[in-house]
Amino acid sequence: MEPNDSNKNWNGKSRGGTLGYLSFVFLIKKFGVGAAYSLLAFVVIYYIPFAPKATSSIWMYSRKILENGRFKSLKFVYMNFFSLGQSIIDRVAVSSGKSNEYIFDFSEPDDVRKILNSPEGVVIIGAHFGNWEIGSPFFDKYSKEMMVVMMDYEYQNIKKILETQKKVDTFRVIPITDNSFSYLFEIRDALSKGKYIAIQGDRLSKSEKHLDMEFMGYKAAFPLGPFVLATRLNAPVVFYFAVRTGYKRYKFEFALARDYSCEAHKMKEVALMKDYVATLERVVQEYPEQWYNYYNFWNT
Amino acid sequence: MIDSALIEKINKILAEEFEVDVAIIKPEAPLMETLDLDSLDLVDMVVLIEHNFGFTVKAKDFVGIKSFEDFYQFINSRMNGA
Repeated sequence: MEPNDSNKNWNGKSRGGTLGYLSFVFLIKKFGVGAAYSLLAFVVIYYIPFAPKATSSIWMYSRKILENGRFKSLKFVYMNFFSLGQSIIDRVAVSSGKSNEYIFDFSEPDDVRKILNSPEGVVIIGAHFGNWEIGSPFFDKYSKEMMVVMMDYEYQNIKKILETQKKVDTFRVIPITDNSFSYLFEIRDALSKGKYIAIQGDRLSKSEKHLDMEFMGYKAAFPLGPFVLATRLNAPVVFYFAVRTGYKRYKFEFALARDYSCEAHKMKEVALMKDYVATLERVVQEYPEQWYNYYNFWNT
Repeated sequence: MIDSALIEKINKILAEEFEVDVAIIKPEAPLMETLDLDSLDLVDMVVLIEHNFGFTVKAKDFVGIKSFEDFYQFINSRMNGA
């Protein structure tokens, strides 16, 4: 199953210039998060007409998937972009040493804590939902290194921004490139050294193998890669999502994936994906405005 | 010279894992195309080699492996401690 419509997968590029980003960094540092939110309220108005693909995908998400009316959907599109902006601002604020201004609630069951504390490598599967990066510094408490697997395009964008700020991030990146398989070996080696591998399980890139799953009432394509890697490399899997629950307040939700050893060989990844999709659906239903996949995610 | 029993073992494992007819596996045939491998299948290939032949595979090991003959040579040389 190979996707061939460019609107049906992510093209690997993210919107937003370095200058704009740095303006927000300046505001956060000098005047605080509130000032940055105020500027964001106006910037979002620009994004609605000038990011038509993103606007259209969120409009369809609101109208078809969430079954909102036109007026509510208009408000929803604005709130979705505003929410994305807030999550970026909060991430910058936390990484700039303002984490003590925030409240973080942990929903971390005992089985998850036990696995994260163990010497084993763990695959942590998240989504382009909420604000997972804001939680990455908290994994330090387990004294294990986190390696984030992401598309090379995404990595280059982040690297550019970090270089302009003369900063290093709290995690190391394993970039996925089209012309090399070396990332597979890096992932395997990191797991064998007991590191965490963080990977997003929701976003499909061009030519990626995928499976259609029932998600929020409609079929949607999910990438097979993260699930094949986790099951083949026999690593324990934790689903992790960070959601914004209020002003300067976040909740970190974790769930331990079950043992799939009893499943048939090539059904293990399917079973893992099913559990992931069910967990993701539960959190997305609770916080629908924090969904940040700006392409035609559902086969509607 | 590679032991024919080893070649037979490799062919059997590959045919079972990647669900192809063992008859299409010829020494000169291209490995990736014949087995219809992509990057995800490579994970299976690595696990399969390590599990069945007892040595660790690195990314650079795959450089230069084009045909089944190359693959047999690679397995044979690593099993003989090269």
